[in-house]
Amino acid sequence: MVRTTVVGTYPRIGETSEEQALRRGIARLDRGEIVEAELQAIERDTVRQVLREQNEIGIDLVTDGQISWYDSQSHFAGKLVSVETNGLVRYFDTNTYYRQPVVRGAVAWKGPVLADDWKFAQANSKVPVKAVLTGPVTLASLALDKHYRSKKALALDLATAVGEEVGSLVQAGASNVQIDEPILTRYPGDLTLVSEALERIRSHKARSTLTLFTFFGDVAAIYKDLGDAPADILGLDLVQGSATWPVLAKHGSTKPLVLGLIDARNTREEDPAAIAKKALELKGAVDLKASYLSPSNGLEFLPRDRARRKLQILRTAAQKAGVGA
Amino acid sequence: MNALLTTSVGSFPKPEYLTRARTKASKGELSPDGLRTLEEKATSEWIRFQEEIGIDILVDGEQYRGDMATYFAENIDGTEISGLVRSYGNRYYKKPIIVDELRRRGPISVDWFTFAQAQTKRPVKGMITGPYTMMDWSFDEYYGSRADACFAFAKLLHDEAVALEAAGAKVVQVDEPALSTRFDELPLLVRAVGIVTKGLKAKTVLHTCYGNYNEIFDYFNKLPVDQLDLEMSNSGLDLLDRFKREPLKKEIAFGVVDVHSHVIEPESLIRERIEKALTIFSPSKLLIDPDCGLKTRSVDEARIKLRNMVAAAHAVRTAHGLT
Repeated sequence: MVRTTVVGTYPRIGETSEEQALRRGIARLDRGEIVEAELQAIERDTVRQVLREQNEIGIDLVTDGQISWYDSQSHFAGKLVSVETNGLVRYFDTNTYYRQPVVRGAVAWKGPVLADDWKFAQANSKVPVKAVLTGPVTLASLALDKHYRSKKALALDLATAVGEEVGSLVQAGASNVQIDEPILTRYPGDLTLVSEALERIRSHKARSTLTLFTFFGDVAAIYKDLGDAPADILGLDLVQGSATWPVLAKHGSTKPLVLGLIDARNTREEDPAAIAKKALELKGAVDLKASYLSPSNGLEFLPRDRARRKLQILRTAAQKAGVGA
Repeated sequence: MNALLTTSVGSFPKPEYLTRARTKASKGELSPDGLRTLEEKATSEWIRFQEEIGIDILVDGEQYRGDMATYFAENIDGTEISGLVRSYGNRYYKKPIIVDELRRRGPISVDWFTFAQAQTKRPVKGMITGPYTMMDWSFDEYYGSRADACFAFAKLLHDEAVALEAAGAKVVQVDEPALSTRFDELPLLVRAVGIVTKGLKAKTVLHTCYGNYNEIFDYFNKLPVDQLDLEMSNSGLDLLDRFKREPLKKEIAFGVVDVHSHVIEPESLIRERIEKALTIFSPSKLLIDPDCGLKTRSVDEARIKLRNMVAAAHAVRTAHGLT
C-alpha cells in the first residue's frame, strides 16, 4: 500500500448552500451582524466538513485545510512581535494575494497560533492530522523587511519563532509537522539557509515526523543536496516541478518522499493507472511504503468539487500503486 | 492642451438593487431581459456620475460582469465555467475552463461599449481582458500549452478590439493584471498583446496591477500599446525613482487612490501624489486614475474616491496653469 496525504489548503467553499456557510459568515461579520466567536463556530463547521470529505475518500494523513488562515503568510507571521500586515501582494504565480507582513523590529513568538485549531481538527478526524506551517525562509522572502535588512537574519529569527510554534503543536499532540518552503523553487540557492533554519525547528520536533515541502516549481538543481536537509520526509511538486522527476528517478532518495503527482492547479483529471505507474517507476530507488502520494500543492486553487475529484483520483492511484509496490 | 486627463480603470461597484437582481437571476427568479434592464440602469447612472464630476475619459463600469475573465469566457466558444475559486480574503470567482478550441462566437463587449458611448459625448474606453490574463486565469483541459492557449485567446481578442474600434472606440484598453505572474513569460505576453493591438488606430492602453514592477520594468517600453495604466498608490509610489532614471516612452495613467482600502484619501494627499508624478512625467502624457477597478468598494466609497481624485487633478491643473 502506498499512503496518501494532502499538502495543506483545501477549498473553503463549494457550490451548495452548506458549503457556502463560511463565505456568508465572513460577510456577516464584516457587516457587524455576528461576532468573532460566531464566525469561529462557522469556521469549525467548515473544518469538520473538510475533514469528513478527506476521511470519506480515505486519505491517510489529512490537514484541517488551513480554513482559518487568511493567507499563507500573514496568518502566522502577523501574530509575531514587531510584525504588522500591509497591502495585498500576489502569491507566487497564482491568482491569489496575501497581506504582506511588514517587519518593524526583532521578531519573536508571542504564543501558540495553531495549536487550538490542530487539537480541534484531530478530535474530528479518524486519521492523523498533519500540522502545516509556512517555512521561515519563505516568510522572510515574502515579507517587507524594515528592520533586519538581511534575509538571513530575519529568516533565522523567524525559524526560532516557527520552532517554538512547532514545539507547542507537538505538545498538543501533533505527530506530523510539515514546513512549506516554496521559495526554494524560485531561489534554489536558499537551500543552505533553509537547512540552517530547519536545524532550529528540528530541536523542537521531539518524536514527531518533520516534512519539508517545496511546491510551485522544481528543485532539480538542488535535488541531490535537498536530501541532506534536516527533515524526515521531503515533499515534492512533480507537476509544475516536473523537471525534478528525471533527477529523482536517477538518484532516488534515502528519505521517504511525498510525491506530488496530482495536478492541484488544473482541473484536467489524471488517469489513476498512469499516476500509479509513474510512482512505481521509483520502486527500488525510493521506499514507497514509507512514502506518500499527494496533490502537487494545496488544493485551494481548485473548485471544491474538483478538489474532491482529485482526491478520489489520488486514492485510486495509491491503491493501484500499492498492488505493485 | 490635454493635461492631467482623468479616467478610471474599468469596474465600479454594483448598486444594491443590481446585486440583488444578479442573485435572483442566478436562481432563475429574474429573466435575462429583466437583469439587462437593471444593468443598463446602473451603467447609465455611472456614466452620469462620471460626467457630473468631470472625468475626461469614461468607462462603462462593468455592471454586467461578474469577473473580468469569466465574463469574457462565458462569451467565447470552447470554454466552460468552473465552481468558485478564492482570490483573496472572502472574494471568489468562477474560473473558466478551456475544454475545446477557442472561438469568438460574436461580439463580447461591443454592445455594452455602444450602449455606454451613446449616452455621453466624452470618450468611453473599450475594455478587453487580455490574452495572457485569460490564459493564466483559466484551467486548461484542451491545449496543454500555455503559449498555445494564450495565442488562441489573442487571435479572437484582436477581432474584438477591431470590432470595438469599428463601433467608435477611440481608446481600447487591454487588462493584463496577470502580467507579472511569471517573469519568464513576459516575452509571451508582449507577443500576445501585440496580436491584439496590431493595426488598431485607437489609442491602446495596457492596465496592470499588484505585481513586482521592478522585476518587469524592463518590459514597460516593450509593451505594444500607447499608454500604461499602473497601480501606483498601493505600492507606495516606490517606482518613481526608477522612472526618473529610465524614462517611460509612453503615456502613463497613474493610480492615485487605493482601491482595496476603505480609507478615503483626502484631496490634499491625492494632490501630493499627482505633484510627485509631475516631477517625472510630462502633464500631457500623465493621466490620473484609481489604482485599479473600484468594484470592491461600496458605491459611496467609490464615488467619494473618484470625486476627490478629480478635484485633486483639477486643483493641480489650476496650480500649474494647465487649464
